Amino acid sequence: MKRLRVIGFLGVIIVMLVECRKAAVFPATQYNDELSAGDETVFMSTSKSFSNAYPGLSGYDVYVHSLGDAVFSRTFVTAPAPVNSGLGPIYNNNSCISCHHNDGIGLPTAGELQSSLLVRISQPGTDPNGGPVAVPDYGLQLQDKAVFGVPPECKINIAYTNQTYAFDDGETYELRAPTYTLSNLYTPITGSYLLSPRLAPPMIGLGLLEAIPESQILKGEDPTDANGDGIKGHANYVWDATTQTRQLGRFGWKANTATILTQVVTAFNQDIGLTTSVMPVESSKGQSQYDNRYDDPEIPDSLLNAVKFYAQTLAVPARRNTVDATVKRGEALFMQAKCGTCHKQTFTTAVDVTKPYQSNQVIHPYTDMLVHDMGPGLADNRPDYLANGQEWRTAPLWGLGLFETVNYPGYYLHDGRARSVVEAIMWHGGEAAQSKAYFTHLSKADRTAVLAFLASL
Amino acid sequence: MKKAILLSACALTIFIAGCSKNNSNPTNNNTNVTEANVLTSFATTVVNPNYADINAKAAVMNTAVATFVATPTDANLKAIQTAWKDTRAAWESCEGFLFGPVEDFNYDPTMDSWPVSKNDIDGLLADNSNALSPTDLANLQNDNLIGFHAIEYIVFGVGSTQKAANITAREKVYLTSLSQNLYNTTLQLKNSWDPSQSNYTAQFTTAGTGSTTYKTRLDAFKALVGSMADICDEVGTSKMQEPLTSNGGKPDSTLDESSFSHNSVTDFKNNITGIRNAYLCTYGGKTGSVSLSAFVASKNASLDNKLQTQMNAAIASFATITTTYEKAIYTQKSQIQAVQAAIATLHDSIENDLNAFIVANVKD
Repeated sequence: MKRLRVIGFLGVIIVMLVECRKAAVFPATQYNDELSAGDETVFMSTSKSFSNAYPGLSGYDVYVHSLGDAVFSRTFVTAPAPVNSGLGPIYNNNSCISCHHNDGIGLPTAGELQSSLLVRISQPGTDPNGGPVAVPDYGLQLQDKAVFGVPPECKINIAYTNQTYAFDDGETYELRAPTYTLSNLYTPITGSYLLSPRLAPPMIGLGLLEAIPESQILKGEDPTDANGDGIKGHANYVWDATTQTRQLGRFGWKANTATILTQVVTAFNQDIGLTTSVMPVESSKGQSQYDNRYDDPEIPDSLLNAVKFYAQTLAVPARRNTVDATVKRGEALFMQAKCGTCHKQTFTTAVDVTKPYQSNQVIHPYTDMLVHDMGPGLADNRPDYLANGQEWRTAPLWGLGLFETVNYPGYYLHDGRARSVVEAIMWHGGEAAQSKAYFTHLSKADRTAVLAFLASL
Repeated sequence: MKKAILLSACALTIFIAGCSKNNSNPTNNNTNVTEANVLTSFATTVVNPNYADINAKAAVMNTAVATFVATPTDANLKAIQTAWKDTRAAWESCEGFLFGPVEDFNYDPTMDSWPVSKNDIDGLLADNSNALSPTDLANLQNDNLIGFHAIEYIVFGVGSTQKAANITAREKVYLTSLSQNLYNTTLQLKNSWDPSQSNYTAQFTTAGTGSTTYKTRLDAFKALVGSMADICDEVGTSKMQEPLTSNGGKPDSTLDESSFSHNSVTDFKNNITGIRNAYLCTYGGKTGSVSLSAFVASKNASLDNKLQTQMNAAIASFATITTTYEKAIYTQKSQIQAVQAAIATLHDSIENDLNAFIVANVKD
């Protein structure tokens, strides 16, 4: 009898073990290095690993996320149309996913079907809210596509100059420096203008970045380099179009957008030409391409909120190989090189009882959410609120090791000029010059270890 | 003691139940059932032949278009329609496994963007300054004007009422270029996996043993299984659902993907058939030596049975929709919901059980 009981209980244990294998929500107590985004981490490393809803959403929230997902995938067409009406008249692409393919980083081309690069434009100076000054007949963003029958604003030409460099041990690498020029202007631009190219960034973990308490971000500021480490991060404060207030900028390559809602309505308006209740005026208003149609807002609030929620609730893939000795070594070198000063490993999100799924989560985004001087090599020389022409927001590194899988072959930095993580590192300058120099001095084995660590993110 | 017996009996019941779920007796003693062989069989028996088939069918459509342009009769128009449906069937089948170059190089949106932009097509046809050559169409950089659905719009027309006599000279030029462009994309897709061309096949089959895309074999299995689950989700909760309720809870046939050709139900069914092809490792009447099904069966026969049963059930359930999808969303809602339920069941089994199975069993 006893034997039977033992077998029986073993059976129970086996069944439990079998059924426990499915990766689902991990309680915080089982926290480990793989959990890049706390409870909102997913265990996936395929091309779809950026496309998962937070594991902890309620049934209704999953429904709203899915609705947002459907709109995010929707291809819009010229108005009037029975389905998905409202594209353009001038635009950069006809759906969210055309640029945010697989919810990942985009393709650094302009004007083609799946191009994910757009170019911001402005006149020198600042507007009354401290932001960039719109260019007459062009606004603040160049739309290089248009519906049939009206001209796009321009054609964006990208040219690269390759140059070969070497690490201290003699191994060479190549950097390609882009230049951006405009042609086929639909109307002449009067006066001088500034351009800034921006690549579609990955969509993962945005809600968690939005949930980091402002006080925690500001703690990292050191605008005068009081601690003498050569690194001077500061926050960007920007005008928020939705609330009509000045707020901490968190999103975009220069942290020029305060909230995900504003990011979404701006993208609808400027990138696709879709109006919303927040931005009910077509991007082409006042220009010859304007359609004079009384169909605004083209996206109802229900769908806008669904897309906003979708963008807020995309989970972050778990790290891989976290116990690997080379990865561990690379992580130590990453810290010694002071990469981790700006690419700050850990934040804890704010307590928010209305959003239990992202409340009080220990997350590892590897960003301080501040802007830093990255040197003349990366500079766009176009100020954006408090971020000057050489400053960029520290890009989050979570998911970095999967860029190649999610968006083959994988591009890096604000305009996709880097074709590998190595190139991205070697483009660093300004406040990051010392870290780059450290990396340059490393042996091949140590550089490989740093890259192995980055690949594990 | 009695309690102990009861408890043991309980435990034993669970044990037995557990065992039936996780059969440790291999039903397939074929020693070829290795993970590497599953990947190789899938690539050589399903992916490459399926992509080659799409390309071959697109070539047939090209010829049919040329014939129609030379002799614009209704019979020749009908031949294009048939060729379109044949090409479409091969394409929808490969949507059962949308990963790799078809995604990486955007062949999917280039061929299969929806909806078409009727305003822009009308404008384009009216603009005689555009010669409508294949290059001209590609240069428009607008996927709402090209691909399967643009061809469908011309050859079937709204409501599937197109007649040869109604197709203008400009439309014939447009159609010829559309068909040529579609053929070109299918050729690129075919070449992307072709071992004698770009050879993504090698990336997939050397997963975990040198592939730069798939660092582990599990990654390759996950890509396959994940894509099978994704298409279930897309068919059940998007393609079928949106025409059903997206119009403020009411049906709307304009939200139906292949509405010009009334081919939607066939499209959906071919998507699910594509999943089964991938799972059973079969295409065009040929079956691979080692299927994913055989791999599952070798370790868990009941899971394999369940998956096969659910795939067959989902595919068979489409027969209950006896009219076009455009009508069925008004008149056969309960049948549609039953199909959606069958697909949802299959989706959950793939996403949960099959995924858990490969995570537990695919070793590198």
